[in-house]
Amino acid sequence: MKFSFFHLMPYPYLPDDFDEKYQSSALTYPNANFDPKLGSALYARYLDELEYADQLGFDGVAVNEHHQSAYGLMPSPNLMAAALTRRTTNARIMVLGNAIGIRGNPLRVAEEIAMLDLMSGGRVDSGFVRGIGWEYFGHSINPTKSRSRFNEAHDLIVKAWTSEELFSWYGENYEYRYVNLWPRPLQQPHPPIYIPGAGSTETMKFCAERKYTYMSVYAPTPIVRRWFDGYRQAAADLGYVPDPERIAFSVPIYVAETDEKAHAEARPVIEWLYRKGLKQTAEMVTPPGYMSPGSLRGVLASGMRPLGGFSYEDLLANGQAVVGSPAAVADRLAQLYDQLGGFGQLIGLFAIGPSTHEQVMRSSELFAGEVMPALRPLGVASDPVGQASS
Amino acid sequence: MADVAPAEEFLQLAGGRVHLLRGGVGEPVLFLHAAGGAGQWLEFHERLAAAGFDVIAPDHPGFGKSDDFPEVEAIDDLVYHYLDVLDALGLDRPHVVGGSFGGWIAAELAVHSPHRIGSLTLLSAAGLRLPEHPVTDLFLLSPARLAATLFHDPPPPSPAPPPGTAPDLDAIIAAYREATSLARFSWVPFLSDPKLERRLRRITAPTLVVAPSDDRLIPVEHAKRYAASIPGAAYAEVADCGHAMYFERPAAFAAVITEFLASHPLAESGVSR
Repeated sequence: MKFSFFHLMPYPYLPDDFDEKYQSSALTYPNANFDPKLGSALYARYLDELEYADQLGFDGVAVNEHHQSAYGLMPSPNLMAAALTRRTTNARIMVLGNAIGIRGNPLRVAEEIAMLDLMSGGRVDSGFVRGIGWEYFGHSINPTKSRSRFNEAHDLIVKAWTSEELFSWYGENYEYRYVNLWPRPLQQPHPPIYIPGAGSTETMKFCAERKYTYMSVYAPTPIVRRWFDGYRQAAADLGYVPDPERIAFSVPIYVAETDEKAHAEARPVIEWLYRKGLKQTAEMVTPPGYMSPGSLRGVLASGMRPLGGFSYEDLLANGQAVVGSPAAVADRLAQLYDQLGGFGQLIGLFAIGPSTHEQVMRSSELFAGEVMPALRPLGVASDPVGQASS
Repeated sequence: MADVAPAEEFLQLAGGRVHLLRGGVGEPVLFLHAAGGAGQWLEFHERLAAAGFDVIAPDHPGFGKSDDFPEVEAIDDLVYHYLDVLDALGLDRPHVVGGSFGGWIAAELAVHSPHRIGSLTLLSAAGLRLPEHPVTDLFLLSPARLAATLFHDPPPPSPAPPPGTAPDLDAIIAAYREATSLARFSWVPFLSDPKLERRLRRITAPTLVVAPSDDRLIPVEHAKRYAASIPGAAYAEVADCGHAMYFERPAAFAAVITEFLASHPLAESGVSR
């Protein structure tokens, strides 16, 4: 099992009347509520936490991209990754990912990841995401072009990384007469690629064909199980069994010395994450064309509910948060491992909403010291559960 | 008012099938629907037909029962699409009436092919980019807020279904498909063609611009700008009415339009002015 420390870099200082007054922490939530002095201190704190995770022995430190939101303060994950290249030594630097569906110029992403790969000595993992629905409003990108832009940007970036001769690109969304990447990435043929899945069979097939790492987003265990099984099936259809490391389970994790202390401290921050940080309207999440009619029908028929509708207890029971003493967290994650049919990477969100720096440091220390060793043997290629389990 | 039941027809074009409703006898009126209302034959249409017009109401690509026409990606493609529709219907120079999104298409069609337009009626048309009078972002409105925005006097909300009622997936997906089609044509530039305003001088047909008095979606300044920019255009307002226009005040809208159409019979129009 590989473990990574994922950071959203939230802006936790929401006003007391947030719930009544605002529809979301994103897109239209007024930026007058952002205090630059607090924001500057947050960046310093959050980078410290990622660097500490490297020292604790996490296999990876992960950042991602969000726009116009208190949920995540990283419009440019590559800037944070650049800072991390100089202050971490062993951990993979995981950009999960660049939102290539909404980027105006995907060639710039190819260039920046290549730079990061060189700067980090080949430690970069490159995730690609479409971007959340509200970001298509925020960056004025037509959501009906989302999938086409994502696919084309991916193809262009991979070709730019791997081609050793100048080429031209004429696509539906992008045209370049001269693609001639300087610098080229250090890892060959290119940095590993991670793609989040949320049920689309196209995405499962896309990842399985290319042996990319398929990672879950926060959803109830039976639904994540269906996604992981879909990926495994897509690989089986191509005649191979995926390396467990190609399947990554993402979940918020909170560890404290005792179960009582952990739940007392975790409840408010988990509720913040799902009820405030992820508060958004249906119109923001699913702008027209962002989903295909078939995918929309699948989501509606699966009975998925808005995340804010779950209680703390529901979220724990659903595997959308893992909380407790080190022993309880290790047990619960091992149980989820079985329930999900295995996975070889665990992407933990340890800095959850308004949790304090001290809480985050303590939680990750306990996790690294007492939980990781217990789970380390799971999810490696020789482990039978990672290959077949019902 | 005579009861005019519409006929349902399908036109086969190169890129797919167009669904349309058609009723009435008289000079042809091509009616281009707003973002809502595809495939609906309303009191408004019935009144136009009963006043002595052959009202032809097609569904736009990706709306109602028309096919998606994936190659129709933007407003310029919609213009060529409707030239194909005119040809398929054998219409040389009909009256063209368009509401909101359909009004934008009508204005672009009249700019591109002024000789194909017998008369032009724009009902609170989208299409102009007036940054000082922005169009409300309908894509971000909840269904309840959308209704409150569209109507001067919003109808009472429909009663909530009894608990446990399964949602009508087909209806949700059909609505999402139409919103997707609208977004395909108009997400950015938002419901507008920045070049349209300076091209409006090319329109030669007699033109009427109609605005509802209380338009909270497309500010009335848009209609006024259309009227000021199209040579010889007349301007009218319908009182106590929101952007829902012919949904909210069908009789008033039908009256102002039929009066204009009757005073500009096709035999006399289209002459170079």
